[in-house]
Parts: sequence; structure tokens; C-alpha cells
Amino acid sequence: MPNTAMKKKVLLMGKSGSGKTSMRSIIFANYIARDTRRLGATIDVEHSHVRFLGNLVLNLWDCGGQDTFMENYFTSQRDNIFRNVEVLIYVFDVESRELEKDMHYYQSCLEAILQNSPDAKIFCLVHKMDLVQEDQRDLIFKEREEDLRRLSRPLECACFRTSIWDETLYKAWSSIVYQLIPNVQQLEMNLRNFAQIIEADEVLLFERATFLVISHYQCKEQRDVHRFEKISNIIKQFKLSCSKLATSFQSMEVRNSNFAAFIDIFTSNTYVMVVMSDPSIPSAATLINIRNARKHFEKLERVDGPKHRLLMR
Amino acid sequence: MVTVGEHPDTYPEVELMSHMVVLFLVFLRSSHTVFHSGYTNLHSHQRTDFFSAYSLRKMANMDSDSRHLLIPEGDHEINPGPMNIQFDSSDIRSKRPFYIEPTNIVSVNDVIQRVSDHASAMNKRIHYYSRLTAPADRALIAPDHVVPAPEECYVYSPLGSAYKLQCYTEGYGKNTSLVTIFMIWNTMLGTSILSIPWGIKQAGFTTGMCVIMLMGLLTLYCCYRVVKSRSMISSVDTTTWEYPDVCRYYFGSFGQWSSLLFSLVSLIGAMIVYWVLMSNFLFNTGKFIFNFIHHINDTDSIPSTNDSNPVICPSARSGGHPDNSSVIFYASNSELQQFEKWWNKSKTVPFYLIGLLLPLLNFKSPSFFSKFNILGTVSVLYLIFLVTWKAIRLGFHLEFHWFMPTEFFVPEIRFQFPQLTGVLTLAFFIHNCIITLLKNNKNQENNVRDLSIAYMLVTLTYLYIGVLVFASFPSPPLSKDCIEQNFLDNFPSSDILSFIARIFLLFQMMTVYPLLGYLARVQLLGHVFGDVYPSIFHVLIFNLFIVGAGVIMACFYPNIGGIIRYSGAACGLAFVFIYPSLIYIISLHQEDRLTWPKVIFHVFIIILGLANLIVQFFM
Repeated sequence: MPNTAMKKKVLLMGKSGSGKTSMRSIIFANYIARDTRRLGATIDVEHSHVRFLGNLVLNLWDCGGQDTFMENYFTSQRDNIFRNVEVLIYVFDVESRELEKDMHYYQSCLEAILQNSPDAKIFCLVHKMDLVQEDQRDLIFKEREEDLRRLSRPLECACFRTSIWDETLYKAWSSIVYQLIPNVQQLEMNLRNFAQIIEADEVLLFERATFLVISHYQCKEQRDVHRFEKISNIIKQFKLSCSKLATSFQSMEVRNSNFAAFIDIFTSNTYVMVVMSDPSIPSAATLINIRNARKHFEKLERVDGPKHRLLMR
Repeated sequence: MVTVGEHPDTYPEVELMSHMVVLFLVFLRSSHTVFHSGYTNLHSHQRTDFFSAYSLRKMANMDSDSRHLLIPEGDHEINPGPMNIQFDSSDIRSKRPFYIEPTNIVSVNDVIQRVSDHASAMNKRIHYYSRLTAPADRALIAPDHVVPAPEECYVYSPLGSAYKLQCYTEGYGKNTSLVTIFMIWNTMLGTSILSIPWGIKQAGFTTGMCVIMLMGLLTLYCCYRVVKSRSMISSVDTTTWEYPDVCRYYFGSFGQWSSLLFSLVSLIGAMIVYWVLMSNFLFNTGKFIFNFIHHINDTDSIPSTNDSNPVICPSARSGGHPDNSSVIFYASNSELQQFEKWWNKSKTVPFYLIGLLLPLLNFKSPSFFSKFNILGTVSVLYLIFLVTWKAIRLGFHLEFHWFMPTEFFVPEIRFQFPQLTGVLTLAFFIHNCIITLLKNNKNQENNVRDLSIAYMLVTLTYLYIGVLVFASFPSPPLSKDCIEQNFLDNFPSSDILSFIARIFLLFQMMTVYPLLGYLARVQLLGHVFGDVYPSIFHVLIFNLFIVGAGVIMACFYPNIGGIIRYSGAACGLAFVFIYPSLIYIISLHQEDRLTWPKVIFHVFIIILGLANLIVQFFM
């Protein structure tokens, strides 16, 4: 049955130059448009209609233009901006020299959230951590985390430290997405059952738009801890190539004498990757299994009714 | 001696001898390209870690649909490939998936782990990010601190194997200590070696020897300061910097301009000395050949020793003005008179040189002349041999009178020793290019040791030649005061050994002169006009100016000792005495490590430099 619930927003906010656009391009695999250098006193708002986990739409906001303009815009428009927000992701540049100002903007955002969308989830990303010396990273992050937790009261915020040059960005966003999926434990249990039935080595569930790993099951220890991010990057690259040809990525099979891997559309919001290390099992068998599981998982998604966030299209 | 490396289309760096003991780095606007003599290759001072980062990115851009992974049509009918349930069997050929031969796939279990997980993850990341942006956008280009170091870079094949990149940067750090020492020695020894005996004479024997050793130590210390100056700058990357860059860092554009000015002073001084010497040698060579052909025995009224090893005292007749157009009484020898009229050391020969050298100066790139760089070393070695031979033949004539000059001898301590210090400032000058020379040392930690050894060898060479010439100068018939500013002048033009020496030096200087002119032109015109070859007219005017200066000096003031000491003291003032000490004081002050003894010591050095220059004018 069609659902008329309004689109919910994911706000990606932060000071200009903190790395939001790069982050968005990397996570969502879309091209960085132009050099969005701001000339003059405009504030960039990007309403990118990236569908995310069903009915979520990502809005990207630059905070920190000229102060008076910011105040005006904020006060007049803020109800519009902050209504119906599902998630607020606020990005802090770890190298910023204006900590006071950053915190001030952050708090104004929080006030607006408190008024308009008090149920929103708040995530704070301390970004560009690669610019900090390795031995100081933990210390600096802990400091920031404490400050942010303190400032966010009564709201709760989850903090991550990120950098686009290591796996932390991917992990942070995976955690964020993980927390947005309501019945994720149930999903994981079902995934495990599925994997055990079909005798797979590893089964991964990806979010459709971003290829972030939502959950996974592995039956034995795998050597490469970075494999999730690598797979995501590889597939997103492939998606980019496909889009150049005006086609869309649907499924992939990789097979050699040691393993067979299948990547396929699963539910309306997810992809699945199944890795079989027994090469004697014919592909057709696994594909049939996946097809059947699909029906089951879709039912799982539909079970909690229209209020559920993962909606069918 | 000038040694120049070879490269057709970049600027050579010229190593000069003596007052030309200045090694210049020719600056390009954006990058520094340095030549070296044949011991190292040309290398450009590009950031070497850029190479690895760039190569990593380049490798990451390996297109995943490279052609060799595709099998050509018509093969492998037997094995149609895995069946995809969405696969329409009718277009089996067009939708065939990529199929890699099993033998090409490195087995997961038995491959030696050569690429770390971290590195391969970074590879994938960079690969992916590079697809996200246009090439001009720098937002997602890997910064250098995340890209692995060159030693850790692997070429990572998509088929699973990896091999390590040979990170080979040409000519960097390849020279052993011995080669470095030799190069420094070779660079420093120049034509000021010819003036050292005269300098010792001016200072007195004992004073002269002490002054040589002390100046060697002092300039060595200042050179050490130059070498260490870059390491005091921590905020900027200084790997491609030469000493003028350091001056510019500390003193702004004043530093840049002043170092350019002082470089030009020494270069042009060098070229003038070269012109004077070349006229001298050409004249003597011509005279020798003429006398040899016409079997003339040159027994004119110049006082000389009467044995098989003649030594002459050219300046004894007139008041110290070496002029070889002496009064020679030959009955009806108009041919000789004609020759003497047309072949005069100060009146005609300098002009003949113009015809030879002015065209050579206009060359755009003098890399041809760099092939003759071996002549420099050969000349020095020959001079050492010549001096030793003459000393053996002439024997030692030394008497020690401390303060009073006698008829034949000079006092041990004379107050004209600043003339020697002026000459030595240029004789020990290498500060402009020592950084570059030491950069190619294989073991960088031995830099100071190698530099000291090289300085010691140079000091020994100067002492050897100076002392031997001075000591073996036949003093009973001739006075020590006769030692000429160019000690070869003390041998008559009929002396075969010195004739050979003159020919060597003449030819060597003729190949070096265009290189010096090129360097001076590049530096001056490059800075003033922004273009090293603005037009033939600019270049011609510049060359005429230089040549004119040389000719005028050769005609009216052919005292190379004087020219060397003035230009040496002037140029050395900046690069040897003031800049290194001042920069050291400033950098210590910035780091708050300045102590009073250090300040006093270095200010003392600066005062010495100033005194050195000022006193030259009073001597």
C-alpha cells in the first residue's frame, strides 16, 4: 500500500571547508560538482535528493558564512530547515582555529533541532584526523568528545573521529546507518540463518545507495579487516562506470578455483553479497537460494507496517 | 678550472677555479636544475617523494577494463562461462563475462603477503576517489602524508601479485666520499693558484704560511655554517635550496638581489682575470713560436739567471709595470720589430682575443665546452709537476730576516699580508655551491668530514705550490720581490715547460670563458629581463661590456693579483663572512639559543670580512 509519509531529512552540516562535500561524494559515489568556493555572502544549501535508506533525503548545509547573514537566515528559515529531520550529522574540522564559533553554531543547530525535531538522532564527526599526529589522535578526540557531549545536553550525540584517508570514515557512516535501521538485530539473526543454510563463508548486507555494510555474518576469521571498505569502493567505482554508459549496476558474480562471490540486489534498500568457498556448489544453486531469501527478507521489512522507516517503494 | 656536466637543453652549472672558484647554480624560475661534472648525472631537484606519490596515483588509475583481460571473440567455445540466471543465452558472446585464465590467478594461500592490507586498502581508496573528481579538482588528491613512503610503494597488479618499485632518483646521493672530496678539490682550485707565490711574497714567508692556514680554517668554518644553514630552517622544505635561497629566506628580496650582485662581482672579476691571463699566455705562446721559428735567442736586458733554468724578473726594469715591449737592440731586424709592434702583450694581443672569444660568448647553450672539463684537473697536476721540477733544478734559496728587507729577500713579517688574504678569500671560495656538491654524497653524515678533508687538501696544494715557488726562486741573482703576480711570468717565453703550461692553461681558459659568460648572462639577464636570452642585441651588448672590461684591464692594469684580491674580498664579504655568520646568529636568535660568546665570535668574523675588504684599498 502506498505510503504518504513525508520525506525525512538527513542534515549534513558543518563549517564551510570542513569536508562535507567530499564526504558526501565519497559515501554516495556522486561526482563533486564544481569547485563550490563561495564567493560573497551566499550560503550553500544542497538539496541533493539522494535516496538513503528508503525515504531519507540528504541535505547538505554549510554553516559559518557571514555571521549576520547566518543569523538572519537561520531565524527566518530555520523551521523549514529543521522540521522533519531524522538525522543530524555535524562535521567538525579538527584543525579549526575557531572552536568557540564552531561550538556556537553547533549549539544553535541543536536548539533548532530541539524545537522542531526532538526525536532526531545526532552524530558528530571530528573530521580530517589524518592531519593530526598519530600519537595525539586519541587524546584530541577524547577531549572533543567530552566537550560535545557536554554541550549537547539534553540531547544525546554519538561522536566519531573520521578521515577520508583511512577506514574511519567508512566505519563511522556504517555505524550511523546501522543505528538508523530499527530491527537490525533481527536482520542479523536472519542473515546468519541464511548463511548457515546455504553454507556460505560470509554474507554481507549493503545499503543500496552507499554500499555501506549494514550487517554481516562470517563463519570464520577473515584476514583482511579492510575488506568491507574495499568492496564498497570497488563496487561504487563500478557503479560510476556503469552510470557513464547509462546503465545501472544490478548484479555481479566473481568465481575462481577458490571461491565464488555473488553480489545482487536484495531488498528495496539493500544489496547482498554471498561468498562461497566451496567451488563445487554450482552458481545456479546459490542464486536460487538468494532469490528465495529475498522474498523472506522483504517480508521482514514489511512486517512492522507503515510506520517503519524502511519502506517499500 | 671549470668543470661542467653535459646536458643539451638545461643550464649548466659551472665550477670555477680560483677566483673563479665560484660554483654557480643557475636558477630557473620554478625549479632548480643542477649540472654536475661527469661524476654524477643530471638530476633535477624535483621533490623525490612526489615521484612515489605520483606513481602510486598513476598506478591506481590503471583502468580496470584493460584490454588484455578481454578474450578475443571466437575463443573458448568449449567453456561458455558461468551461467547467470539473468543471462540470455542467445547473446552469449556479447555478454560474456571477463574470464581470467586460472594460471594467471595467484592463489590466495600460497602467495607471500607482499602488500600490507593497509596499503592495498589505501590503493583502492585512492583508485576510487580519483574517479570522483575532475582532474583539476584537488579536493580528493591524496596528500603526501597519507601516501606510503617510497620504500613501501608496490606496483600492485589486479591479478594479485605485487612487486616493489625501484625508486631510482638519478644522481642523488650516489657519490662516495672520495669522489665528493675530489670534486670539491677540483672546484676550488683555480687560476688564483698562480698568484699564491706572489701573495706569500707580499706577506712574508712565515706570515704567508700562517695566513694561508688560518684563512683555510676560517673559510672552512664559514663553509660549515653554509652547509648547516638549511637544517636550521624547519618550517619550509629546503631540499631543493641552494645558498642564495637561504639568503632570500632570511633577508627577503634584498638577500636575493645582494647575492645576485655579489655573484656577478665574482663572475665578472673572474672573467676579467681570465682575459688578462689569456692575453698573457697567448702573447707568450706567440712569442715562443716566433722565436722558435726564427731561431732568435731572446737575450734582452731583462735580468735573469744565467743557467739552463732561466728565471726572469720582468718588472725589474720599469717601475713594476710588466711590459714586454722592451728595448731590444737588434741590428736591422725589422722583422722582429714588426712582430713586436703587432704582437704586444698589452696593446694588441687583448684585441686579437676578441675575434676569437666574442662569437663564442653569444652561444645560447655552451654545453659543448663542458666536454673539456678534464683540462682543469690536468692543468693543476701539470703545474704541480712543473713547480716540483723547477724546485729540484733551482734548489732552495731561503733566508730568514724578520723585519728588515734585504737586497734579495723580503722580511718574514710584512704588513702587506692583507693582499694575501684577499687572494685567499677567492682561492678558498666555494660557499655558493657547496650545498649542491655535498648533496650527492652517499653518506650524508660524513659531509663535514669530507668538506674538512677537501679543504685540507686544497690548503696543502696551495702551500705546496706557493712555498716551492717562493723557496726555489733564485734569490742571489734576483730579488724575491721579483716574484710576479702570475708566477709563470717569471719564466721566459722560451722555457719549454712553462710554454706547455701556458698552452694548457690557455686552451682550458678559452673553453671556460664562454661558460662563465653564459652564467653571468643567465643570472643578470634572467633577473632583469626575466628571459635568459631576450634578444641577440641584449646579449651582444652584455658580452661587449664584459669583453670591453677585460680588454681595458688587460691594457692598463694587467695585475691579476690585484684584480683577484679586490673581487675576492668583495665577493667573499657577502658569501664567506657576512651571510653565514649573520644567518647563524638570526636563526639562533629565533630559536632562543643565542649566547654571548657566539655573538661575539660571529660578529668578529663579520668585522674581519669588512676589514679584509677595506684594507685592500689601502694597500
